[in-house]
Amino acid sequence: MLALPLCACSIQHYQSTFSDAAVEVRQFNTLFAIFLIVCAVMYSLVIAFLVGGIVRRRRAGEAYVVENGKHHETNPLMRIGILVWGATVGMGLIALAIASFFADRSMARAAANEKLSITVTANQWWWDVQYNSADVSKTLRTANEIHLPVGVPVRIILLSNDVIHSFWVPSLAGKQDLIPGRENDISITPTKVGLYRGQCAEYCGTQHANMALVVQVEPYGDFLKWWQDSLKPAMKPTTLLAQAGYQYVTTRECAMCHTIAGTSAGGTVGPDLSHFASARSIAAGTLPMNEANILRWVDDPQSVKPGTKMPKVPLRPAELNAVTAYLETLK
Amino acid sequence: MSSRCRTNNSFLAVATMLALVACHREERHNEPNPFGASIKAGESPPTIIPGTAPNSPLDPRAADYDNNAPAIAEGQFLYTRMNCVGCHAHGGGGMGPALMDDKWRYGGRIDQIAATIAEGRPNGMPAWRGKLTEAQIWKLSAYVRSLSGQPSKDAVSSRADAMSAGTPATLTRREPVKNADTAGR
Amino acid sequence: MPGKDYASTRFSGLTQITPSNVESLGLAFTFSTATTHGYEAPPLVVDGTMYLITPFPNVLYALDLTKPGAPQKWAFKPEPAAASQGVACCGTVNRGAVFSSGKIIFNTLDGQTIAVDAKSGKQVWRTQLGNIQIGETITMAPLVAGGKVLVGNSGGEMGVPGWLAALDESTGKLAWKAYHAGPDKQVLIGPRFRPFYASDRGKDLGVTTWPPNAWKIGGGNVWGWISYDPTTKTIYYGTGNPGPWNADQRPGDNKFTTGVFARDVNTGEALWFYHTTPHDIYDHDDINESIIADIPWGNGRRPVLLRPARDGFFYVIDRRNGQVLSATPYGYVNGYKGVDLKTGRMIPNPEKEPKPGRVTRNICPAAPGLKDWNPAAFSPVTGLVYIPHHNLCMDMAVSTANYISGTPYVGADVKMYGGPGGYRGVVTAWDPLARKPVWEVKEELPLWSPALATAGGLVFYGTLDGWFKALDAKSGKLLWQFKTGSGIIGQPISYRGPDGRQYIAVVAGVGGWAGGIVDGELDPRDPTAALGFANAVRDLPSKTTPGGMLYVFALPHE
Repeated sequence: MLALPLCACSIQHYQSTFSDAAVEVRQFNTLFAIFLIVCAVMYSLVIAFLVGGIVRRRRAGEAYVVENGKHHETNPLMRIGILVWGATVGMGLIALAIASFFADRSMARAAANEKLSITVTANQWWWDVQYNSADVSKTLRTANEIHLPVGVPVRIILLSNDVIHSFWVPSLAGKQDLIPGRENDISITPTKVGLYRGQCAEYCGTQHANMALVVQVEPYGDFLKWWQDSLKPAMKPTTLLAQAGYQYVTTRECAMCHTIAGTSAGGTVGPDLSHFASARSIAAGTLPMNEANILRWVDDPQSVKPGTKMPKVPLRPAELNAVTAYLETLK
Repeated sequence: MSSRCRTNNSFLAVATMLALVACHREERHNEPNPFGASIKAGESPPTIIPGTAPNSPLDPRAADYDNNAPAIAEGQFLYTRMNCVGCHAHGGGGMGPALMDDKWRYGGRIDQIAATIAEGRPNGMPAWRGKLTEAQIWKLSAYVRSLSGQPSKDAVSSRADAMSAGTPATLTRREPVKNADTAGR
Repeated sequence: MPGKDYASTRFSGLTQITPSNVESLGLAFTFSTATTHGYEAPPLVVDGTMYLITPFPNVLYALDLTKPGAPQKWAFKPEPAAASQGVACCGTVNRGAVFSSGKIIFNTLDGQTIAVDAKSGKQVWRTQLGNIQIGETITMAPLVAGGKVLVGNSGGEMGVPGWLAALDESTGKLAWKAYHAGPDKQVLIGPRFRPFYASDRGKDLGVTTWPPNAWKIGGGNVWGWISYDPTTKTIYYGTGNPGPWNADQRPGDNKFTTGVFARDVNTGEALWFYHTTPHDIYDHDDINESIIADIPWGNGRRPVLLRPARDGFFYVIDRRNGQVLSATPYGYVNGYKGVDLKTGRMIPNPEKEPKPGRVTRNICPAAPGLKDWNPAAFSPVTGLVYIPHHNLCMDMAVSTANYISGTPYVGADVKMYGGPGGYRGVVTAWDPLARKPVWEVKEELPLWSPALATAGGLVFYGTLDGWFKALDAKSGKLLWQFKTGSGIIGQPISYRGPDGRQYIAVVAGVGGWAGGIVDGELDPRDPTAALGFANAVRDLPSKTTPGGMLYVFALPHE
């Protein structure tokens, strides 16, 4: 049992609840430590008494004796012991309640100062991420990857388009459900630059296991630069093959569901592909991003992620190569 | 003792039969069609066929989608996202005709509906061939049929993804499939 | 012209028919237009000829009024593309033709503007302006002002960017085109642009008040009415709703949709803009008529626009600079809290804001507004504006709209029903100076018909189930009514015939958004049909049937 937390310490906090990469997860871990200690002490005492009770044979006689119609105690220690134990447990529980209360309050306080607001809409089985801005012309829509500036409190608004999902980036914060018809939110204040993996934590259908997300925490300047670069329209294809792919993508099935900024493709059913090739993975963490996987995914998404909403489009080999070539240019 | 065994056996037989039937209803058909497959000419709307008596058999693909629960559910998703709802509402119509009544201008069989979606129609129904895959068109056709109560009630979706305004699909009365006037519109 | 005059008063100066003799008004002749879709256009009478423009297929008829029974002189058939019927949101209607310099000019559903010689019926020129492949149609009545034919497009429900174009009257060539979103260059905003309110001032607001690229599919169409002041050579008109209806997809003010523009008719340069409902959330297009009037104000008179707007407020706007002098609800409104006259901004009611995934109930006025496109009439004799309008509220649920060009870009489910009081229509005689109604006539069905006011002291309008009515302009008393064969949604007119008598003409043909349940044979078991209107008029199919018949009335010969 004790080996498990030790294992966690050895990995790089990529996806670990024992990390200290954000204010919220640190508060969680403090609370966890308090709970662990209090409960461990209680547990040890219980085991000790149990063992003691087994080892020491039961003395002859009862605790209570009836003599002349009256009860009297033969062993007052028993009563005192039970009272003391009850008091200990009660104090332990109160300690836990107070710790929990304060942890909750401090997380809520952190939640009041958000400087950045992101709306995450969960779909089966991908994450639609929108960065909100007071200047609405800087609103940015991406998918499956969240960039956060280090040290800045962020409020993530959680919506769902279909069923209940749950947003969980273990290294940064706890779980929060995304419930259709309801707006939830979660606050994160990352404190360490790095890459953190998250995943959907509420069974949401056949591909629930393939609904991962990645959070990249970076310095504020890098974050702003990334935001500006992502607002640029999609790159125009230069090679003939990519241009043929562009023709297909913007006029055939792809444009029915996907948006590529700066083109006629304006679909909102699937992820925004404007900077598709810059992402780390395809289909919410299902495949790592590289040319072979793009080809594999576009050719037959159903064999990679059966049941996904993206259909198998009957592409001829030339069309498949052209589309793959074009998608690779979308950096 | 023996009578209890007999009851158990017949219960088992009935349960197995039901399970087999249900298997077909819940079978997912993910993109079985090779590229280049198209909806056959036999799916044209009811019209005069010169010469011999008309014999337009139901497309064999229909069995995979008609009365198929996953197909109807995915059709429901596509119906809203591909903007069918924008012209046909939730069966009542608007820019386009109603789909929940008994009048079918271009035929109400699932393969005829699939042909209409793929080919478009002269008075404004867009042509989706090349924009939706064959499987998607069949799934939409299965859903469209559920708007007028055609599939069996254990295959239709019990939850609408939209404002609950009309009768749920599980309570929709089955409409007869009648021809309607296509001329002059 | 469709508004009777450039000021859009819809007021006839004829006095032969009066409250005392209107009860003997009888049918003089009829004419079947051979269409059974919504008929919204006014008949046009020029030089003893009556011109009728039908809904799709947009046939132009010329009737000879000098002969008994007004026989047909000619018919011009433009043969518009049949597929355009599939991308017309609210009926395949046409709101009228215009006469200028010997030509009758009108638009077709598939986006053409056509000029036809008024005498011979031969085509003079034809210009293709719209593209049905992107869902664009044209339903509005053009206006000829300053030698230019002004045409605007439709398609706010299809993600079509809205514009107003000016064609040269004699050749049909494009003179200028102003969009209603995008960079200043394409909105024709330049150094002469002086909006009155601070929130309408800034550079490239047509881009900065939208998420990236959303303005390209943002709507702002001009499918309603244009007024013209010849002394200042200025046109005034309103723009349509932003797309999609789901406002969460387009945070920001969404300029320049749902607002009023003043432009120079020669160059199209914008002079001022007032944003009636920034970040519209209810589909409250602002394309309603702008009645030009000079009203007493303070010690003198002030040149204004009188606008009974879709959002439920009656606006009095100074037409020199776009300042709102008053904005008063002319019916029950709970979707807004009011207009802040200091900033000019509409104050929203957050309780009634549609949010994704949930249904917001009882929003008043409903999406067609307190009054839709059907114009009111202004009588300079009584000083009242006669407004035929609705009393409808709605439930609305929004969801993410998917943009596919040529298909609807809406993202909303709507269900409409009668507002407080239960009656669904009402004619309000509004006093723009006192800012309150003088009388109201309640109607069972919503009113989709325009009004006509006459100097004889009468107000004419029609109901959705086909009653053509005459009210006393001062008291609102019903003086005469006639049951026509189909619901009336078209503009009634009054003209002096070649024999000197006063005639009242209207075409009865139910349809449009309100009557779609009848002419489209929609199914009211789905309350969201026809963008929610089917639920509000579930009883209409039992009360009227499709039609397209011209009715001309006159007093009996002496």
